[in-house]
Amino acid sequence: MRPLLRHGPRLSRPARPLWRTAARVAQSTPAAGPCRPSQRSRQLSTTPALQHTHPASASASSSSVNETEISHFSALAASWWDPHGPSRPLHLMNPLRHDFIRTCLSSSPSSSSSPPALRYLDVGCGGGIFAESAARLPSTLSVTAIDPSPTILAVARAHARRDPALGLGKKLVYLNETIESLPVPESPAEGFDVVSLFEVIEHVDYPAAFLDRVGQFVRPGGWLVLSTIARTWTSWVTTNLVAEDLLGMVPKGTHDWNKYINERELRGYFDGQDGVWGVPMVMGVVYVPGLGWKEVRGSEEVGNYFFGVQRVA
Amino acid sequence: MDAVIRRRGAYVCRSCTQRFQRHLRRTYGSAAQPDIYDVVCVGAGPAGLSLLTALRANPVTAHLRVALVEAQDLAKVKLWTLPPDRFSNRCSSLTPSSVLFLDQIGAWRHLARERVQAYQEMQVWDGVTGARIEFDWAPGSTPAAGTTIAYMNENLNLTSGLLKRLEELGGVSVFDNAKIERISYGEETEDLDLREWPVVHLAGGKQLSARLLVGADGANSPVRSFADIEARGWDYNRHGVVATLELEGEGWGGEHAKIAYQRFLPTGPVAMLPLPGKYSTLVWSTTPSNASLLKSLSAKDFIAMVNAAFRLSPTDLEYMHTQESGQAEEYSWRLEHTPFDYQAVPQTVVGVQEGTVASFPLRLRHADTYIRERVALVGDAAHTIHPLAGQGLNQGQGDVQSLAKTIEYAVSHGQDIGVTMSLEPYVSERYAANHVLLGVCDKLHKLYSAGSGPLVPLRSLGLSAVNALGPLKSFLMNQAAGNGIKVF
Repeated sequence: MRPLLRHGPRLSRPARPLWRTAARVAQSTPAAGPCRPSQRSRQLSTTPALQHTHPASASASSSSVNETEISHFSALAASWWDPHGPSRPLHLMNPLRHDFIRTCLSSSPSSSSSPPALRYLDVGCGGGIFAESAARLPSTLSVTAIDPSPTILAVARAHARRDPALGLGKKLVYLNETIESLPVPESPAEGFDVVSLFEVIEHVDYPAAFLDRVGQFVRPGGWLVLSTIARTWTSWVTTNLVAEDLLGMVPKGTHDWNKYINERELRGYFDGQDGVWGVPMVMGVVYVPGLGWKEVRGSEEVGNYFFGVQRVA
Repeated sequence: MDAVIRRRGAYVCRSCTQRFQRHLRRTYGSAAQPDIYDVVCVGAGPAGLSLLTALRANPVTAHLRVALVEAQDLAKVKLWTLPPDRFSNRCSSLTPSSVLFLDQIGAWRHLARERVQAYQEMQVWDGVTGARIEFDWAPGSTPAAGTTIAYMNENLNLTSGLLKRLEELGGVSVFDNAKIERISYGEETEDLDLREWPVVHLAGGKQLSARLLVGADGANSPVRSFADIEARGWDYNRHGVVATLELEGEGWGGEHAKIAYQRFLPTGPVAMLPLPGKYSTLVWSTTPSNASLLKSLSAKDFIAMVNAAFRLSPTDLEYMHTQESGQAEEYSWRLEHTPFDYQAVPQTVVGVQEGTVASFPLRLRHADTYIRERVALVGDAAHTIHPLAGQGLNQGQGDVQSLAKTIEYAVSHGQDIGVTMSLEPYVSERYAANHVLLGVCDKLHKLYSAGSGPLVPLRSLGLSAVNALGPLKSFLMNQAAGNGIKVF
């Protein structure tokens, strides 16, 4: 298996997920079927990434991308924008991403009174559900969206051509890059205001190394925002057993429960970065069939959640 | 013909096609580029105008590029005016919740308020059995919103006020006196793929490309046909006869306690709704042949028929509908032999304003859905209701309020406002609610249209029971006023 993670194939969100949001690809783990949940903790700091194999070797050739994940999500490309297809839960979740980002941004009063002109980097943009929506907001200056799958990026670009307001190639730019291959901003101030990882990190083999790299793209004062799913008995039952095995709502192999990351583990990672990051914001959400996604306080402990952290240094 | 019109892909009527082909021959090759809009609203009735006003008045949606397409000359509508003692025959009841919405979007203050009449009481009775519901507020039970059940208002007063508000807000591309030649889909170019975007082709060559095409274009909505949305329902084989009436006084309750009256006759309900001063507006649902008779009568005989409709027995009325003229004499003779409580019926009608007697066919229609990709229907384009509850225009305002809120949410979350994913909340909020109301009014019509048979004693029992049950009655009244639990 490839060493470090990449950001993975996230692609995002393709959807399937039901209550899960995301898609994940399971074949990447040796144990392909639903793994039995064991409550061992996933220490981000003990992964190889933590040893900074990555940044150290920093070459663009190392990648967080897991090839199996890429092919899994590429196969979903055609249905990405079908509102009644397997990506529907991701479409429904998208507005909450903006609500959460707004909550994060408003938690730190901006120093200037001028209207915001935000620069976004969407890592693992998939078909562009979030990237398009961010590009449509009047408060957005630009959106750079990257994904390792050329197949999915072709879907994203073709879809963006349907809306003249997106300014494809100008306001919204899609790049077939991994976070490792994307050049790091020359100075911290040239970093992005918002770097988003939606339904991505659970597809990454070495999340700590991945986050190390991603963090370099956030300007001081900017936010790293992600969503993922906690590794709990509940999430194992809902995403692997029910959604994939019993109901078949989600393509088999979408979720690798072992790669799920708990909110406490993420918190631990950011706390351990020597004051680079502020106090995280967290919002737990639950998918209610027929109603869509609802914020449920405390649910970050059991299932899907948003996690945002401001770079303070 | 319907089948032709409903063909997916392009709405074209036959004469338009011919004209369009001629036009094509003329301009082929000039390749007019469509103007791209976020919202193109077809129809400048109350629903379409309220929608654009709501979008323009809201800072979240004010940046949207919006266009209005209308066949009529809107300058005339905006400048509409009548002397204080003349009223248009097309009036609608506005519920307090509709008025609240109009106030929120800044339109209410642009209406000629002295021409709007609030009413506080409703008298509804069965013409066959005499069973009666008195909708007045029980002491101490007046709702927070006040005791007004609804406001009677001329439709033109509303559209004129909305146009003034829109002019104040600015930013709408108005195409009035406009004829839609056809609606098609856009094209794919090197940079853009607009094959799912509706393009409205106006006579003269103007083309409007729509991220969201709104059909506010009435019961025979061309936009609905273009979107290939079926509207199902039936004709009631009834016409609504309208007129502006002058009464002997300001009403039994005086200037500040106005009463709306509605009597269920076997041919349909007849309603008299208060306007300012001594004036009232009539809505009389009846058979098409009765309607043509009423329209053919002299003013004197017409007035007699209206007075008879609220006082005489259905049998007497039926007879008077067989007379070609002379109803005035017939009425005064029969009235002497008909006992009734004169304070329980409207004051006597003494005049009908010239040129105000008109009629229109009644039907029930409900579109299968209100949305398609890049299309939304509001108001009569989505549903046509029996006028007996006075809810048609209010339903349209409810649609508009919901659609404007849906668009606001979509805009603030970066969604494309034209796609069904963004529009779904509008349908889920409005469809069931409208369907219930359509059904209730339809059932009421059918129940009270039976002149004899087993339904008659049952229904009078129903009405009397309703009158006796105070709490239920308040619930019903709050529904009528739109400030109760949101069942409808």
